[in-house]
Amino acid sequence: MPVTFTFGEFLGARSVIGSTLAELGEDRENLFVLTPDIGATLVEFRDRFPDRFIDVGLAEQACVGIAAGLAYDGNIPVVSGMLPFLSMRALEQIRTDICYPNLPVKIIGTHGGLVGNGGSTHYAVEDLALMSALTNMTVTSIGDPLMVGEIIRQSMSMTGPLYIRLAVGKKDMVLYEPGQHDIRIGKGIIAREGTDLTLFTHGTTVAQALAAAEQVAEAGISVRVVDMFTLKPIDEELILDSAERTDGRFVVLEDHLAYGGLASRIADVIADRRLHLTAFERLGIPQVYAGFGEDEQLRDKHGYGLAATVAAIRRAHAA
Amino acid sequence: MSSPTLTAGREHSVAELEDLAFELRSKLLQLCGTYEGAVHIGGDLSAADILTVLFSYGLRVDPTDIAAPERDRFVLSKGHAAVCMYIAMAIRGFFEYDDIVATYGQLDSAYGMHPCKVQLPGVECSTGSLGHGLPLAVGMALGARHRGETHRVVTLLGDGETGEGSVWEAVMAARSNRLGNLVAFIDRNKQLMTSFAEERVMFEPYPDKWRAFGWNVVEVDGHDMAELVAAVDALPDPASDVPTVVICNTVKGKGVDFMEHNLAWHAGSLGAADLERALAALDASRTKESV
Repeated sequence: MPVTFTFGEFLGARSVIGSTLAELGEDRENLFVLTPDIGATLVEFRDRFPDRFIDVGLAEQACVGIAAGLAYDGNIPVVSGMLPFLSMRALEQIRTDICYPNLPVKIIGTHGGLVGNGGSTHYAVEDLALMSALTNMTVTSIGDPLMVGEIIRQSMSMTGPLYIRLAVGKKDMVLYEPGQHDIRIGKGIIAREGTDLTLFTHGTTVAQALAAAEQVAEAGISVRVVDMFTLKPIDEELILDSAERTDGRFVVLEDHLAYGGLASRIADVIADRRLHLTAFERLGIPQVYAGFGEDEQLRDKHGYGLAATVAAIRRAHAA
Repeated sequence: MSSPTLTAGREHSVAELEDLAFELRSKLLQLCGTYEGAVHIGGDLSAADILTVLFSYGLRVDPTDIAAPERDRFVLSKGHAAVCMYIAMAIRGFFEYDDIVATYGQLDSAYGMHPCKVQLPGVECSTGSLGHGLPLAVGMALGARHRGETHRVVTLLGDGETGEGSVWEAVMAARSNRLGNLVAFIDRNKQLMTSFAEERVMFEPYPDKWRAFGWNVVEVDGHDMAELVAAVDALPDPASDVPTVVICNTVKGKGVDFMEHNLAWHAGSLGAADLERALAALDASRTKESV
């Protein structure tokens, strides 16, 4: 097991992807890894299994279609690339070639949210809305690099498609001590226990949510932080439990358009289950093309940085 | 372990295959005459000879063992020719034509406008959105190559759908990965849905475009059974490195004079009177060709 990092340290999710896939490829001769020219993450797999590593060049649509063909042929294909392009340029191939026949193709990508300072061509900010709309698709967004490896391992036995969203994947904070949490696709993680309100989040903003909870704890506000890393299927039980245990006060924080992502998924549960909340604050990207800047600057500029999160917690607490 | 009937189709002579293609067209028209919704009859008729030569001669498949590992895989990229494929497969023994014609397009039928593997396991994959079939076939061919298997992956594309960029992405991927076990047939009927192709899209010099991408290019008259058989017989060894495209020059609506080269017959249905007229035209075209 390549687990050598602990809580609070930094580790690149990309290296975890490469090492995990290389490890899994040893026993699974039908594991293929495909990329549209974003193969740096995958060198360990590429070097060990060159005949099962397929770089198609800049061709996202064919990459996903070829992965579907491999899956029809009884293989487990993993497609890795940048999510703004995979989730949009190849959207129809993902929907029609993978989701329609419910094939076990995994799509793992980087640049989810306003990360990387690439400008709006290079930010995946609609991806979770698009993927969540697809029948048969399981949708995840992961911040903790060690979790990435665990989810990839679990995904090997899945019969249908899976989407894994990461941030840039070069330097991610380890959020959970290995073995500390029961990590299962479809189940959220209580990253921090609390009683006054629940802050739901996923991916790269989990670290910010924990920091905000820490800050308000000094003022006597107890925040439960839920890492809802599986957006679909959503952990309804945990939402219901959180409503009950934290007085119907919810804040949702995410590095995605404020409408269409996790907040919308939770709002669906609230409406369908007729929950009566005291507070519901959503923090995310407004309907703007965000421009350049480091991710922390952009979050501040667009109203979902650390200070805005603390302010939303206070509003929800006071409601 | 080889399925005993995997190669049975090759016993058909050219004359027998011509009879089967006539039977296929005749059944297509009958279905078009009983089903009230739209049937893609123009593109079905242009592909009828190709699908006949594939299912009754070229493809090593076994209707009694649809998942035989060593079977050739077939991907209908021009998914709107589904009913032509269903009937070609029925003639080979996969399905009953009566089931197709009795249920086509109805609620809970396995036979619809575009093929769905979930509903009809005898087909290899679900298609319909154009430009998807070649990438799927590349993936299947890569899988076979990796396991050292020697079956072929064959796909049928319409020429119109080669306007989709994803086709050319896959053309490059196939050659780059040296997939000599991949064969693309093109139904080159030179008609789009609403126009004659060259009026809107400059496809020519069409064979040169494939050649420039490094493929082995074969050009045939897609309605000449002897030429189609010869093309199938001359396919390179699947273990070779270069994928093959068989460009089949065809006529949309082939065999029914009032449908040939007629933009109105991309899709439609025939009433009882028109069905008689179409069947008579089909008979006449056959008589004419055999003289």
